[in-house]
Amino acid sequence: MITLEHDSLVFRFPEVHEAARCSIDFQRTLRIPDDGLDYPLPPGLGGFPLRHLDDYARQAPRDWLRRGGVLMPMHQAEAMWISFGAESYPFAVKIAAGKACALTGDAWTNHLNTDPQDYLVLPEQPWLDGFCVAKGIVRQFVAMPLGEGYSVEEQLTGAAEHGGLQIIAYPMKAERYEALIDEQSAESGPAYGVVMDSAPPDMGLAPGGRMRQEIYEDEYGLDAWDQRYASRCFVTIANSMQWLALTGERPPTEPPTARDYSDAGLPWFDFYGGDLEALAETERMRGLVSVARLGEQKAETPLPENESIDAANVLTLRAAGATRVREMPGGGA
Amino acid sequence: MTRFGEAATATRQRLRETDRRYSLRQVARRIGVEPSYLSKVERGQVAPPSEATTVRLARELGQDPDVFLAMAGKVSRDLQDIICKRPALFAELIRQLKDAPDHAILHIVREVRDGDW
Repeated sequence: MITLEHDSLVFRFPEVHEAARCSIDFQRTLRIPDDGLDYPLPPGLGGFPLRHLDDYARQAPRDWLRRGGVLMPMHQAEAMWISFGAESYPFAVKIAAGKACALTGDAWTNHLNTDPQDYLVLPEQPWLDGFCVAKGIVRQFVAMPLGEGYSVEEQLTGAAEHGGLQIIAYPMKAERYEALIDEQSAESGPAYGVVMDSAPPDMGLAPGGRMRQEIYEDEYGLDAWDQRYASRCFVTIANSMQWLALTGERPPTEPPTARDYSDAGLPWFDFYGGDLEALAETERMRGLVSVARLGEQKAETPLPENESIDAANVLTLRAAGATRVREMPGGGA
Repeated sequence: MTRFGEAATATRQRLRETDRRYSLRQVARRIGVEPSYLSKVERGQVAPPSEATTVRLARELGQDPDVFLAMAGKVSRDLQDIICKRPALFAELIRQLKDAPDHAILHIVREVRDGDW
């Protein structure tokens, strides 16, 4: 089951194990320059608000309601990263944008695949910042309206049909978890009234600038995951106007630019996952064209303030205990 | 030492073992209090901090704010508002559920609906 708690999606599988719980939230962040250079990881500036889509059943487009799930606001060209919270119980989690897998680019399936691996493993993977386009490199998740050709969905399928984000989580089999724990302990001890009759253009995620982030191989093996039990969620991305019209709430303000942030000497981040092996990119993902590059080809400027910067102040975070502090000092914008 | 102080100390020291940014001084700075005050809170020499500070500390240490608030003997403002809107109903509901197992309580929690996609 999935519940919405403090703007986090909380996945629980009490039918598998009482400890089978993880959470996923979506962090506001700077948009890194889309200039072909590789940047460190930008900070978290606080979570995006999430709302049950069903709460706006009278106003929301039918297509949105059909999908269920939650609603999240993003400004056009705004960036985000996904934060995973899992204490000890391992999970396999698939993330897709416009129903195209963020790791492989393959079309959505409701099961796990290993060749190539199309899922992340928690708690080893603390974050996902973008689409895996090379071994150890992702292109940042950047919101763009569907229909303009920038989204990964449109680049891979030629269609602008789904948009948003899709998530499915599978818990580890209970007996594998118990064995793992034994092994570890042996080792260590109201509506605003604007009815949207027709579906507005959806927002999708497009590939932005490059940053250094490894997606880790599954060390447990496909057999470790209990694929009889899964919970999935469609995250519809609303632009600022849609969000205001549906919820009556103002969306979060736009984050500072990467230049302003860097000029202030504030920290960027690297993550060291120890001996874990990183996945390589797939052929499909290698062919993605970034938003800025595609804009040049179309003689458009989709990303304002995209000049290169010097991200000099880089903090390296390590796997143990460091997943909560990838934040701008002072608690965010 | 209070239950709240014990939990805060234990959690911070566990994180400190692998990350020096969880020193008393650095955590205090990030949540906006003096190190001497956080030290007293951890040792139970002063009452638990305000709701806002308790929530900041819980988040800083990767803990559930509601759990930290409960250990501090507080209920968050948003929960108070919810209960105050329908006090008799929620008081009865909580009493009825006080001994129910977790899985039974989860059955009445609102789930995120999965649709057709």
